[in-house]
Amino acid sequence: MIEVSALTKHYRGKKAVDEVTFTARPGRVTGFLGPNGAGKSSTLRILLGLDAATSGRALINGKRYRDLTDPLRSVGALLDGAGPVPERRAVDHLSWMARSNRIPRQRVREVLELVGLADAAKQRVKTYSLGMRQRLGIAAALLGEPEILVLDEPVNGLDPDGIRWVRTFLGDYAAGGRTVLLSSHLMTETADTAHDVVIINHGRVVTQGSLAEVTAGHASLEAAFFALAGARW
Amino acid sequence: MNAMTAAVRAELTKIITLPGVWIVTGVILALDVLVQLQPAELFADAVAKITPDGNIEVFVGQPQPASEAILGLLAGGTLQMGLFLPVLAAVIAGQEFRSRQLGLTVLAMPRTVRMVTSKLLATALCVLVVAVLIAAVNTAFMYGAVRNWNPGLLVSGEAFAGHGRFISFAVLYCLATCAVTTVARSTLTGVIVTLAPAAVTMSQVLARTVPDLDALLPLSAARNLMLDPGVNDLTAGRVHGLLVLVGWAAVTAVAAAVTLSRRDAR
Repeated sequence: MIEVSALTKHYRGKKAVDEVTFTARPGRVTGFLGPNGAGKSSTLRILLGLDAATSGRALINGKRYRDLTDPLRSVGALLDGAGPVPERRAVDHLSWMARSNRIPRQRVREVLELVGLADAAKQRVKTYSLGMRQRLGIAAALLGEPEILVLDEPVNGLDPDGIRWVRTFLGDYAAGGRTVLLSSHLMTETADTAHDVVIINHGRVVTQGSLAEVTAGHASLEAAFFALAGARW
Repeated sequence: MNAMTAAVRAELTKIITLPGVWIVTGVILALDVLVQLQPAELFADAVAKITPDGNIEVFVGQPQPASEAILGLLAGGTLQMGLFLPVLAAVIAGQEFRSRQLGLTVLAMPRTVRMVTSKLLATALCVLVVAVLIAAVNTAFMYGAVRNWNPGLLVSGEAFAGHGRFISFAVLYCLATCAVTTVARSTLTGVIVTLAPAAVTMSQVLARTVPDLDALLPLSAARNLMLDPGVNDLTAGRVHGLLVLVGWAAVTAVAAAVTLSRRDAR
């Protein structure tokens, strides 16, 4: 379970995240929605120990991320903007990550096959398309067979087949009792995937609840999003 | 396997799978061969003319005891190549700031002390291997010069002690470079900041005016550690040189750990 409580982050005096509170529960896909600059990535970065919170807390199964032993075995994450060195081969990139958390080497081959990159495993990442890089990021998130997945815009750059694969995969993943927190700006995709929704704008949570609760009285999640967040797309 | 061993193995995997590391290592070793090749004939001629009382005249008009002179040349040659090793350390440390790999490293190893320690240990191991190769190349070339005179000199205790001093300098200097690059978050800045004091040492300005201050610079400390005080003008003793290099490595490593723990991983 992911618990974010009164989380606040200031960047140079400006509030990027303002008293954000929500929970992502096991067995559910939680969609984390908001326009660019709303504070989604900042919240995820604090949750994962990459940025320090100004105040508040973000816990994973009751612990800070940095206090987890072999964290990749508990939490798999795909972050926008953090990627492998382009000159390194994909298999080598996953190998160092696996070694750092004592994940068996055979798991590297398994996740590459799972995301459809087995044939391109020995290619350097710089030769990858945007979609292939995204698949590699998802493979890295899945390395430790984690109970919790935190994915920032996972379908960016994926072709329709890839998007459908991610949607099905995340649904199956959560159905196994695992927790999925999914940040996205794609309303239709999120509506097809998420069970719960948290909408954030200007650093504050605008609304949250099950998909049915949030979309009640609106034609779609997109309509609810614009009505609630007052965002311009 | 404990968590620290796993972290060091991960950092070593990063190092050996980075093409830049192999390129820089190849260039440094090729440069070493080139630099050693040029005076090889001169040294061989000088050794052939060693006088019966054991003096050699490598530089015209400057006779010296042959054994000390040969080992001094060996130490000088390795010290010279050691100046290129910070580039290797900066490339190793600087990879974290390309494509924001640092974010992934923090995800995998969120505890700062473990992450920094594993990085420094892996870098030290890598530099140690390259330093041993440099020492081996230089010894091989020197063997070509002394093989008909006293080849045993190159496997003497004094020769190995000289190599040990060089390897200590190389590893400590590169650890400082690795840490400075981490603080600066830039490969180029890491190289420049590390080599700038070396330029001051080479100008000899501080050595002439404020020798005590000069002795605190890393390259001056390396000279004090490695070179023969009977032949070279040095600003402090060997132990002082070693302590200064240890100090640089320790202070910069702490600075890197503090920087990584206080700044967001971007």
